Amino acid sequence: MSRAVLGRTIALAALGLAALFPLVVTSATWQNTAILMLMVAQMGVAWNILGGYAGQVSLGHAAFFGTGAYVSTLLALRFGLTPWAGMFAGAGVAAALSLVIGWPCFRLKGHYFAMATIAVGEIVQAVVNGWDLLGGAVGLSLPLHPTGFWPMVFNRSKLPYHYIALGLLLFTLLVNWLVTRSHVGYYLRAIKDEPDAARSLGVSLTRYKLYAIALSSGLAAMGGTLYAQKELLIDPGSTLSTGLSIKMSLVAIMGGVGTLTGPVIGAVLLTAIEEASRMGFGGTGRGTDMVVYGLLIVLIAVYQPSGVLGWIKQRFPASAPAAPPAPASPVEGAAP
Amino acid sequence: MPVTFRASLLAAILGAALPAAAADDVVIGVMYPLTGSAASTGLELKNAAQLAADLINGTDKSLALPLVGGGGLPGLKGAKLRLIFVDHQGSPQVGATEAERLITQEKVAAIQGAYFSSVTQTASQTAERYGVPFLNADSSSVGLTQRGFKWFFRTTPHDELFVQNAFDFLRDLEKKKGIKVHRVAILAENTEFGTGAARLQEKYAKENGYEVVAKILYPPKGTQLTSEVQKLKAARPDVVFQSSYLADAILSMRTYKDLGFLPTALLANDAGFNDSEFLKTMGKDGNDVISREVWALDLAAQKPVIGKANDIYKARHGVNFNGNSARAFTGIFALADAINRAGSTKPEAIRAALKATNMGADQLIMPWGGIQFDENGQNKKGAGIIVQVQDGKYVTVWPMGPGAKDVVWPLPAWEGR
Repeated sequence: MSRAVLGRTIALAALGLAALFPLVVTSATWQNTAILMLMVAQMGVAWNILGGYAGQVSLGHAAFFGTGAYVSTLLALRFGLTPWAGMFAGAGVAAALSLVIGWPCFRLKGHYFAMATIAVGEIVQAVVNGWDLLGGAVGLSLPLHPTGFWPMVFNRSKLPYHYIALGLLLFTLLVNWLVTRSHVGYYLRAIKDEPDAARSLGVSLTRYKLYAIALSSGLAAMGGTLYAQKELLIDPGSTLSTGLSIKMSLVAIMGGVGTLTGPVIGAVLLTAIEEASRMGFGGTGRGTDMVVYGLLIVLIAVYQPSGVLGWIKQRFPASAPAAPPAPASPVEGAAP
Repeated sequence: MPVTFRASLLAAILGAALPAAAADDVVIGVMYPLTGSAASTGLELKNAAQLAADLINGTDKSLALPLVGGGGLPGLKGAKLRLIFVDHQGSPQVGATEAERLITQEKVAAIQGAYFSSVTQTASQTAERYGVPFLNADSSSVGLTQRGFKWFFRTTPHDELFVQNAFDFLRDLEKKKGIKVHRVAILAENTEFGTGAARLQEKYAKENGYEVVAKILYPPKGTQLTSEVQKLKAARPDVVFQSSYLADAILSMRTYKDLGFLPTALLANDAGFNDSEFLKTMGKDGNDVISREVWALDLAAQKPVIGKANDIYKARHGVNFNGNSARAFTGIFALADAINRAGSTKPEAIRAALKATNMGADQLIMPWGGIQFDENGQNKKGAGIIVQVQDGKYVTVWPMGPGAKDVVWPLPAWEGR
């Protein structure tokens, strides 16, 4: 069995598992953990379009995630607009915001771009902290009632949130996959690997980077809307913090940066470590959970800097080293 | 026969795996920030809650509080309280997740938490969804009891009452000592705590006829406050209302001294000014600062049970109670009182008992009139106090009356302290 086929089989099995999981496992805690995994995976995949494929490491993506959360919540609270529409409105606003931010920031290269995005993230957080319309530092809260499909609030059942999160992840993966297949995807990889060569061939660096950031931030914003609907409280500390930005990049880097499914693997792993260490050690009050969490991340970073997918590639090398990029494969593992 | 044998073997194994009394314990989930910037506070809260449970479970009756030394809850045939502590890391999302785990996995009868108002909000939402009582002993954001929740109960007074107290204090100063304040300034850090307090202070100042000459918000993580203090100085206020965390409280005091800014009085809003580190760092420069509080050790002079409870806590943990730990301690007593009267661990029975709670002032280590919840779950009988640092100690100066010290007014000059 070639690796492409194997990859496809594993991906389908994973999809089946994700779809059936909440039907089989009825414990609310495990269901909730699965939803967190899907949500974190979605953020990582969205981040990966800019940070992985285009190689522009953003450490301020929470600004876009938060924009999505705030826009849809504000529209729901002020105008009673359903979050289903608010989600796309938020994505639009976040994409527009990202273009405004990207235009000056893309003049910076490498580390300097990453540093600029941290600054942008902090600025957005500071602005929202002092903005009364957005509830300032207290944030905005959505009512527990009414529940149902249109208000996107569900009472005890976790199933709706699970399938919305899964659907959103699949949508984000689809967009990502379409990008990698299109000429934009090839240009982005060229920009990442050899920006000067790409420019000499007539690829407009800024233009394609702007495409990438708009898509990436729009998708991150959709994740923000889902967060707001699930937790019913958004505040700058939980939707706009630099810690959240780092988490988005961390799952992509742990799983395998610049690959389609790497962030998904990273998200499953990171969330599992996070939840298990907290459940196991959280009550001691000695910070043991955070120590265990940090230690595991350090171990992965030291021993497997190319991410979990990188490790899989080493363990199971492709039969033909010059395998085609196989864009049709849901697992990007076959790409060189 | 082999089937029965196997079944009984299985039962024996299962039985051995669980502590014998587990089925009879009353399990309460307690969530506090045990990691992150508030971890040391969270640990104090945890210790205080555990002490309350241990006193109720124990047999030493020397402390004159209800249920203490009964060896468990008499209303449930001596069932012991078992607290399960979880760390919400200060994150509202983790708070909701952990509340759900406590309810569905640990099958808790009730939850107490969560110190941070934002986490209390999401965690109590989860409790509301599942129909499990949530007792909040230490979050002061006003909005928490305005949500129309059925399962939410708060023993501590909220921010609006604290701000009201400060203005009652100024009114009493005028009435009883003839001290008149005209110009007030507000200085606050710009996150939830400070902005919320500043908004209320401005509202009450205007309603009470004071002139608000400056309202300045600053980022709490900043490394200097020079321009803020210069603005304050230029506004020439009589009284400065200040809401700050620890590091910025210390920084602001140092800047006042450096720039020679001396208002008539500094009325702080708890937090950094009441942290035990504040006086350690400030030394004599911290003297005569006035702050709102919910608890002070000198209250023991009026109410000996406060001193006794504090002795027990100090013997165990080496520090005195403070406003936070005393409230967490009291929260467990309020829950235990309700569960004991309910005579059941069924959520609906506990909720009904909580609604009927009527604890007297003598049953608490707080300076409150008692505990009785209104229709929103807010304790109607809560009250705040105002303390002043005098000779390196926090002493009660308001409510004025027996047991309260005379307030030092105005602030003495920085030089010659």
